[in-house]
Parts: sequence; C-alpha cells; structure tokens
Amino acid sequence: MKTPTPLVGKNLSLGYRNRKEIHEVANAISFEIQAGELTCLLGPNGVGKSTLLRTIMGTLPPLSGEMRICGKEVDAYSKEELSKKLSVVLTDRLQVGNLKAGDLIALGRIPHTGWMGRLGEKDLSKINEAIKATKTGYLRDFPTYELSDGQLQKVMIARALAQDGEILLLDEPTAHLDLVNRHEIMFLLRQIAQQEKKAVLVVTHDLEIALESADKLLLMPCGHPIISGLPEDLVIQGKLDTLLPNERLYFDQKSGKIKPKISSQPLNISGPSDLVPWVVAALEKSSLPIHTTPIKIDIESNPFHLVALVKGQKIACDSIEKLIIGFRQVMMSEG
Amino acid sequence: MKNKFTPSLYFLLSGIGCLLVWVLNLGLGSVAIPFTEIVSRILGNEFSKSSWEIIFLEYRLPKSLTAILVGISLSVSGLQMQTYFRNPLAGPFVLGISSGAGLGVAIWLMAGAAVGTLIPGIFGNAWMLFLAATSGSMAVLLLMSLAAWRVRDSMTLLIIGLMFGSLAAAIISVISFFSQAEQLKLFTVWSMGSLGSTGWNQLAVFFVATLIGVSPAMYLAKSYNAMLLGENYAQSMGVNISRLRWIMIISTGILTGCATAFCGPIAFIGIAVPHIARMILKTSDHRLLFPGSAILGAIVMLLCDTISQLPGSAQTLPINAITSLFGAPVVIWLILRRNFSKEF
Repeated sequence: MKTPTPLVGKNLSLGYRNRKEIHEVANAISFEIQAGELTCLLGPNGVGKSTLLRTIMGTLPPLSGEMRICGKEVDAYSKEELSKKLSVVLTDRLQVGNLKAGDLIALGRIPHTGWMGRLGEKDLSKINEAIKATKTGYLRDFPTYELSDGQLQKVMIARALAQDGEILLLDEPTAHLDLVNRHEIMFLLRQIAQQEKKAVLVVTHDLEIALESADKLLLMPCGHPIISGLPEDLVIQGKLDTLLPNERLYFDQKSGKIKPKISSQPLNISGPSDLVPWVVAALEKSSLPIHTTPIKIDIESNPFHLVALVKGQKIACDSIEKLIIGFRQVMMSEG
Repeated sequence: MKNKFTPSLYFLLSGIGCLLVWVLNLGLGSVAIPFTEIVSRILGNEFSKSSWEIIFLEYRLPKSLTAILVGISLSVSGLQMQTYFRNPLAGPFVLGISSGAGLGVAIWLMAGAAVGTLIPGIFGNAWMLFLAATSGSMAVLLLMSLAAWRVRDSMTLLIIGLMFGSLAAAIISVISFFSQAEQLKLFTVWSMGSLGSTGWNQLAVFFVATLIGVSPAMYLAKSYNAMLLGENYAQSMGVNISRLRWIMIISTGILTGCATAFCGPIAFIGIAVPHIARMILKTSDHRLLFPGSAILGAIVMLLCDTISQLPGSAQTLPINAITSLFGAPVVIWLILRRNFSKEF
C-alpha cells in the first residue's frame, strides 16, 4: 500500500472569518510536501505564509479548499491525533526559565503519555534519538535561559523531533542566528528529513541558504499562484524573480544572490576581476555621482592600491574609504 | 541525580515542617498549651486541663485547619494563573475574583443591614457572609468567562480581570461612602482578613471546595507543563486550550472565592508562594509544583497565623497585614535577584 503524501493543499483559500465579514489573505493555494524532503517556503511578508502555517496546524480552518494531512482532512483530526502527526517550531518567544533543556525536549512527548505524563521506555528512547540527531546532549542539564539563540533553536527542534510526527513545521528557524548557525540548522533539518523520512516544511526569508539546502522550494509570490520545484530548476527558469516585485532588484543567477539593478553605463574601472566588484559595490552605496562624473580607476593588488582620475584630478590611496573621501573633496572643491 | 536536593527530600522535609508548624500554631496564642500536651491530645489522650479542650477543639484546631486550606487554595490558584497567563505577577487578585468577593460582602453588609432588621439574627451570620462573597466572586467569574469566550489572547484577559477588579473596588468605595459607620467598620474588619471565624460546618464546605478546586489542577498538570511554551506550542502538543482556560477559571474561582469568603481577602500568598516553591524545587514541572506550592502555602499560612497571635498576648493582628509583611518583601527580593522572569 502506498503511504499517503504527508501534506497536501488543494485549491486552498486562506483567511479569517469574522461574524460579519470574511477577510481572505490568499487563495488558489495548492501544494504537496513529500516525506524525506526538506521544503522551504519563501515569500514576501504579508503574503500569507503564517496564515498557511496556521491552517496546516489546524488552528485556522481554510475558507475553502482541502488541507490534507497523511490523506485525512485536518478538520477530521482531534487535537491529540493531530499532535501525533505534526510538530512545530514557532517564532514565539519562550519564557520557561527554570526548565532544563532536557526537560524541554521531554515536553515533546506530551501527546504520547498518560495524564500523569510519566515517561515510558519508548518515550525515553525517542527523546534520546531526538537529542542524538540534533547533537544537543551536552545541553541537557542547562537551564534554557543560559542557552544561546542557536542552541535554543536546536533544542526546540529536538523537542519537535521527540514529538515524533511525520511532519515537522518550522517558522523562520534561522531568524536571529549567525551565519554558521543558519547553515547548521538548515543542514540539520535536511539530514532529519532524509534520515528520519520526515516531511519538513521551513518558512524562511533566507533565500541563499534555502537554495543551498532545500530539496524543494515553494514560492509564494504576491498575487500569483504558488510555484514549486527543485531550487536549481527555479533558478534556471528565472522564477525567483517572481518573489521580487520591486523593479530595482533582480536575482543574479551567477552568484545566487539578489542584487540591485544598475541602471546606467558601466564604470571605467580596471584591475583584478575579484577586486573590481567590491570597489563598484562601495561606490554604488556611496551617494557620490559616479555615473554622471567622468572617472577612471585603476586597481592594483599586492599591495592593494587605487589610482583614480576624478574630473582630471588624481587620487592615489590604499583603501576604498580614502578613495571616497578624496572623491568627496574633489566634488567639494568643484562646488 | 547530581543534585542532592531531590523533590522527594523536599516533600519529606516540608511534610515534617508542616507538622511542626501546625503543632506550634496549635500551642501558641493567648493561652499557651504545652506542645507535649497537644501531641498527646492528637494521639487520643485527654488534656490535663479541661479549658484547653474547648480552646483546642472550638478555636485553635478549626483555625489552623482554615489556615492550611487557605494556604493550599491561594497557592494553587496563584500557580495556575501565573502559568496560564505566563505572567509572574499573576495571582488570585488579578482576575478580579477577590475584589468581586469583596463587592459581594460590601453589598451584603450595607444593604443587608436593612434585611437584618426584618429577620433578626441573619445579619452578621457567617454563612450569609460566605454566600455574599461567593456570589460576588462567582459574578466576576461569570463576566470573566464571557470575556474569555470572546477574547482569545490571555494578556487581554488579564487586563480585563484587572479592570473588573478596579470596577469592583470603585463600587465598594461608593457604597462605603453612603454606609453607616458601624457597617463600614464591619466591612473593614472583614477586609483585614481573619482565619478565626470558620466553624466546623463551614470548614467542611471549605474542605470540599478546596478538593474540588485542586483536583482539576493536579489532573491537568501535564497541560500546564505544555503551557510553559505558550498557547501555540501547547495547542500543537494536543492541549485543548479552551477547555484548559475554562477549567483554570472555574478552579481558581472556587479556590479564591471560597478562601476570600471565609477569611477575607488575603494578600500575597497566591503570588509569592509559587515563586518560592519554584525556587526551592528548581523545577518548572507542575506535577511537582502543584503539591509543592500547596504544602508550602499551608506552612506559610500557619506561620503567619502563629505570628498574628502575638504569642503571649490577648491581641490578634489582622492576618492580611502579616501575609503582606511576609509577601511584599519576598516579591521585591525576587525582583531584585533579577531572575524573577527566569524562575518563572
């Protein structure tokens, strides 16, 4: 027998229903999320990502359409049944103080224990597995207020793992984290998806890391239907630009980064190709009229050295900062 | 366990401590009864002085039992509110329940004076006072439940509770303004709190009410643990939030309403005791915190009552003053230790 797809949304209309009016946030939302894959949901603020999460969690019924979890409609689940299928890591601020990290992870077993909450052998082994998968064993006896943001996020992921559902939902798990931790968390999530055969859905704004780590991307652009596919396919098809309604930005396929469009003619800058973009970037950021002033810049490496001709005046220096200062002085003296 | 101070040691020590304080409380007062006599009386022997028997049976024993029940009720309802509202300053006063009870009593004492002249003997009857206080707290509780039905957010509920409390206090001041000096004094005395006006009959009611109030809290200890992570996480772990909210409101309503009805508004026990229990037990596990706070509440109330007797004197200080003298510094100290929010 084929196991049903963990998460399927069909033609969902999401929103809030008051007594008098219906406030629709997003419509025509269809998607599938497979087991064993890390799926990243990307989209601008306000497009309805959180609303979609709440709909999947069953706290906000869809206005219309079908939301199926493991083949069954979300509404048909009791809260307890649902909690055995689906666990979450949210952005809610924690205020648990005294709770040790190990105890916090153990809270994940709540749906599986009796009314006294006594942990059985199976519970303990699930907790240990979750701790092992997230490498949080060394944190077990630390009170949660002593944990760093990155450690806390791993502990929260361990708690969700211990809850042992087929589906893991994470709302911006890498927000507030440093670069290394962001990578670590996302690769940990992919590892969990692949090794534990879980369907992992991550809402994130971190396009670069999502491209690197996700098996699938779900793009939720403003006013368009959801686009899904392999990250690499979406890059080649140029679909990532749909996330950028702003004319001034574009997705650069070469670097995999979002970049501002440079409107006017290229600058007259010569030098090693790895250094030129940095000088250009710094000049673009400064408010100097680099596109309307005649300039010529030569860059030398080893040691780094700049020679610039601005309106016929020569500026020689060893940092971009000094170049910009010199540029300003020329502009000032010209009035 | 690395920690030598285990929960079982806590319960052993606090159990012994509770018994010692209880015997101390029974023995001290305007008439001192030797502790050996009390222990032997409890073991079934008779007192060597018959006057002690009356003091013991009609006054000291019911009063000490009242203290224990008040301690349990207020601490357990305080702990429930602090976790549910995720606010370390929440307590029985905050939902306006105590103020509601006060309003009930105020209305009864002022308006009841008129009824009292019609039916002699009913005025000043402890039972009527209890009824008035409970109906007052239940009325606020009902309004709160209506609000809880409409409002999803627990912070909003907390603010509504505070507003109900202020409203009740305002109505009480208006009533006080128009009332006679004698009735005003009655009300003022009630509001100072007293453990001594509970007889055996009322004590039975109090006991049953405490049992009814505490059991759902104990039963839902697991759900309260999940609530530590907030409503959303609790919900994701299968906790039925609206059911938990109803049970919390009813449980704290019964516990606080009852304690306030019999003994007047007693301050700070509900806020301070759960914090001390958390601090000593070093845990946030409600399966330990509920019994831990209950027993600590009993000890603290017995101690406060013993102090209020001013051992060796015929005077009795208002119990509310003693609990405030104990509770306010504890809360300030907790804040100054700066882990007020961490302990939580």
